[in-house]
Amino acid sequence: MIESAVHITGVSKTFPIPFTRRSIVAVRDLHLRVEPGEVYGLLGPNGSGKSTTLKIILGLILPDCGKAQIFGRDTSEVASREAVGFLPESPYFPKYLTAFETLRFFGKLYSLRPAELSRRVAELLELVGLTSAGDRRLGGFSKGMLQRIGLAQALINNPRLVVLDEPTAGVDPAGSAEIRDLILDLKRRGITVLLSSHLLEQVQEVCDRIGILADGVLVREGRIGELLAVENQSELIYGNGTSDLSAQLEQVVRSSGGQVIENRKSRTTLERLFLEATRK
Amino acid sequence: MNARFFSLGRVRAIGSNTFTELTRLRVFYVFLLFALLLIGSSVVMARLSFQQEFQVLKDISLGAISIFTSLLAILATARMLPQDIEDRTVYTILAKPVARSEYLVGKLAGVLVLLAISTAVMAALFFAALYIREQSALAETMRQMSAAPPEQVADALREIRDSTFHADLLAGIAAIFIKAAVLASLTLFISTFASSNIFTVVVAVVVYFIGHLQGTAREFWLQEQGAGWFTRIFLACVALLFPDLQLFNLNDQVVAGATIPPAQFVETALLGCFYVAIYLPLSVAVFARKEL
Amino acid sequence: MKRSIAVLVGVLLFGAARVPAEHALFTNRAQRHLVAVALDLSLREQIGQLGFIAALSGFRAIVADLLFIQAHVAWERTEWSRVLLLFGQVTSLQPHSILFWDIAAWHMAWNASAAALHNPAQPREALRIRAQREYFDLGRDFLERGIQNNPDNPKLYEALGRLYREKYKDHARASEFFAKAAEKPGAPSYVKRFALYELSYCEGREREAYDRLLRLYQSSENERLPTLIGRLKYLEEQLNIAPDQRIPDQTR
Repeated sequence: MIESAVHITGVSKTFPIPFTRRSIVAVRDLHLRVEPGEVYGLLGPNGSGKSTTLKIILGLILPDCGKAQIFGRDTSEVASREAVGFLPESPYFPKYLTAFETLRFFGKLYSLRPAELSRRVAELLELVGLTSAGDRRLGGFSKGMLQRIGLAQALINNPRLVVLDEPTAGVDPAGSAEIRDLILDLKRRGITVLLSSHLLEQVQEVCDRIGILADGVLVREGRIGELLAVENQSELIYGNGTSDLSAQLEQVVRSSGGQVIENRKSRTTLERLFLEATRK
Repeated sequence: MNARFFSLGRVRAIGSNTFTELTRLRVFYVFLLFALLLIGSSVVMARLSFQQEFQVLKDISLGAISIFTSLLAILATARMLPQDIEDRTVYTILAKPVARSEYLVGKLAGVLVLLAISTAVMAALFFAALYIREQSALAETMRQMSAAPPEQVADALREIRDSTFHADLLAGIAAIFIKAAVLASLTLFISTFASSNIFTVVVAVVVYFIGHLQGTAREFWLQEQGAGWFTRIFLACVALLFPDLQLFNLNDQVVAGATIPPAQFVETALLGCFYVAIYLPLSVAVFARKEL
Repeated sequence: MKRSIAVLVGVLLFGAARVPAEHALFTNRAQRHLVAVALDLSLREQIGQLGFIAALSGFRAIVADLLFIQAHVAWERTEWSRVLLLFGQVTSLQPHSILFWDIAAWHMAWNASAAALHNPAQPREALRIRAQREYFDLGRDFLERGIQNNPDNPKLYEALGRLYREKYKDHARASEFFAKAAEKPGAPSYVKRFALYELSYCEGREREAYDRLLRLYQSSENERLPTLIGRLKYLEEQLNIAPDQRIPDQTR
């Protein structure tokens, strides 16, 4: 059996409120699996437990109970992070360092040998399209460029799993598109991606599977196509039809005992699903 | 890649990064400039106190070096963890196979290198100022005593040289650095459980003052028989909880001309290393379970 | 909570482990008179809260220096009681600074005493002389306390010898203190001569003084200074030393 990239079983996490006897339940009996090579989107409103879940996966927080593993290794072990790259939300990098120096610093944290480190840094700058800006200080980078450097440092160790927290937050559409393309490129290389985002349209474009958290509970999980399908309804999307074709199709549906619910131009439905699932 | 064992390479990378970051702090340069001005101006102040020339120069210079390194140790260390948590840099680093112990040791190493370099720069200026004054005093004395017997001139010149340089000044300066290292490791420990930068600074400054009284409390506790039980418990708590920072203050004795035996300096240095060696694991113990 | 308690216990255990080492280091230094005297409350009252805090925090040297400068100003204004008060604080803060004890004694026994003797506001001579002697005693007190705090330093013994010689005109005590100074490491070469000069003025001890001065004279060419030769010549006359045993007449 192939090991899951991320395997969370029965994880709960509560944060006590200081000086009171109350506490906040951030994550409640969470079961989650991310398979190798897939792009998994973790969605949820603010306070749903997304950040807590990511931090548990990265070993930054210990769960109160349950188990979290990365490729079979418990996340509390430092060694479990050998195979992980992480890009936090709106990361800070010292402005006085160049792109080259920044990646070298993070590479040293993986104890990469100097020759290998230099080669890897050059490769990554090329991958994220920043080779020409390698010697520029980060203080002069745009938000999109900083995110790409962030992605590069997350990939410095050739990880098998990349965790991205709001990778396109604050980035303009062009920059977002570049990051989306990078994510798809990672997928093509067989790298597992776990991303957390509020930008549902972008999630829909790149993710294979999604999980929706609400109040610390995983309320929906599954493949995008399956989740977005409404069970007893079908869509027939056609193009270049005549003005009569629409009326004829409606007649066919009625004569077979069916019901025409709506006849309109195609549009997205993920946002509707998201709001329905998280409505209190 | 070796993520399992304590890696000096990773510690060095974090330490070097910390050092570079600290040297970019504007407050560091303001403090350093202030300390250098104070040392330089002590030459003028010394002149105003006529006979006390060298004593004032040494007192003010060593005092400036002491206060600057102590302040730097506290302020630079106190901001490290809260700043990294606020910037989310701590996530970027600890999401890699970096043990929390390596992270803390690297941070402290960066601060210690900064303190060592600052101490060395200020000591160099101090010695330069002392040398200039010594040469001036020697020349003046020889001019004034040109008609005196050679033995008296030799005595007078020897007295001037004895008042300026002696090896124990280096011991005094080394002890200042050791005190700063103890303060830095103590501040790091406080910052692992503190809620903010300002809280850490306030607690560290309070500990700094109490640390200079700890010796008195300790000796009173160990020797005084007549004190009430409450007083004894209070004194015991002060002695056990707070460091004795006065033990690292050799300046007064050094300036007064007393010799510091090598064995005693080594004992003081070892005590300082013991402090750092204990505060660091305590910091790791608290930080290991800190939820980030 | 458990971890917090464990850490607190760790701090206390660390404290228990280091207290003996700290106590040993402290005791060692106290024996070598390297420990600064603990500050008491009366000093606190005198120098104010901020100064007290600064003094406690290891900056007692700078506080002492600033008070010394104030004492200098008070001297220029001939405010003798303020000079006395400030030097009391200065020497309490820095008991290992020989200079402070020496200058404090000098201000009292030389400057203040002279001012008291010539005080135009006091018409009665007897009272002026009494005030002068009181200042001599204050000067002597500073030197004696300085010696208690710095028993191995020759300078304060020498200063006390000078005080007895010039102010009390007590040659026996002057000789005693010059001799003590000469025994201490780093003593200037002249103090042993001063001890013998003073001894030579003591009634009934001329023979002792002569023998020791002669030994010194014979020990080295460098000791054959005009004052020494002069005292020897005087004692030769006083003791009727045989001419063939007398030192040559020529001076150095």
